[in-house]
Amino acid sequence: MEQVDVIVTLGGLEGRFDHIMASVNTLFHATKIMPLPVIVIQECSLIYLLQPGKHKLHVDTGLEGDWCGLIPVGNPCESVTTTGLKWNLTNQMLKFGTLVSTSNTYDNSGIVTIETDKPLLWTMSIKI
Amino acid sequence: MESALAPLDCLLPAAALRACADGGANRLYHVTEGSQDSFLPDYISGDFDSIQPEVKEYYKVKGCELIETMDQDLTDFTKCLQILQKKIEKKGLQVDVIVTLGGLEGRFDHIMASVNTLFHATKIMPLPVIVIQECSLIYLLQPGKHKLHVDTGLEGDWCGLIPVGNPCESVTTTGLKWNLTNQMLKFGTLVSTSNTYDNSGIVTIETDKPLLWTMSIKI
Repeated sequence: MEQVDVIVTLGGLEGRFDHIMASVNTLFHATKIMPLPVIVIQECSLIYLLQPGKHKLHVDTGLEGDWCGLIPVGNPCESVTTTGLKWNLTNQMLKFGTLVSTSNTYDNSGIVTIETDKPLLWTMSIKI
Repeated sequence: MESALAPLDCLLPAAALRACADGGANRLYHVTEGSQDSFLPDYISGDFDSIQPEVKEYYKVKGCELIETMDQDLTDFTKCLQILQKKIEKKGLQVDVIVTLGGLEGRFDHIMASVNTLFHATKIMPLPVIVIQECSLIYLLQPGKHKLHVDTGLEGDWCGLIPVGNPCESVTTTGLKWNLTNQMLKFGTLVSTSNTYDNSGIVTIETDKPLLWTMSIKI
């Protein structure tokens, strides 16, 4: 039995817009398919679907680029709280047409925490 | 309709107003290399942290209006639409549609910001706003019934319905290869991608919530 920590998907975030959305949709399906985290990477973009609850991301590996974001794809998030970002959220609603966190970045702590009540897509730039 | 400058070369001459949002001016400048004079924007707006100094200077000298917008809660694209709406009202222009070129590739957060702007746009202006890049087009359908004529010859071979910001409890379509009847569309349940058309030439979509239409186009 192999020990697997993460599934890394290369590709799926550019080209046909419907295909990009299908890649995001697969991350939703993945939570029902496997217990492992699935991330998608293309060029300098990475996406990862955060499930409801608290998350801690170590962003001091040196592989982080300079932007990040929180995208309420698929459903509004009534309450999101973060630390470690330049523009943090406190019990904030994230919703298309109201507020979506894009072009965010990090403070100097090296750690980002995110608490969300609904599935929330984390996106960031990476240096590959 | 193939040309190195498609679809700029057919859209710009017919445009009532032309605008760039910050770094979009860089793209316009480089894509129209050698004939920038024929593709001048009426204005360039934004916080000007992306536009290259030589590009900004070039368009300034050519008489393009530069409008600085410092609001950090909205993207340059959203702010550009706000200015556009004010100018349309002020000049009393007859405008049918706002066509946005670019915004659907590159940084993933920027792609999502483009989609978010379509949601904001419904509060900014009464006109439809579409976004086009390469062969992809997106357009946000408001709740209600819609009829799309897809027999212009400019349609590519795929289309889709994406419940981006919220689930749609009930969607009904005609004219697609895989139609929906009072179907729920929701990430993790069902999202319509890689769909296509039947031969009727018309697609109708009825939705109870905002729903993103996407299709391929031949430019």
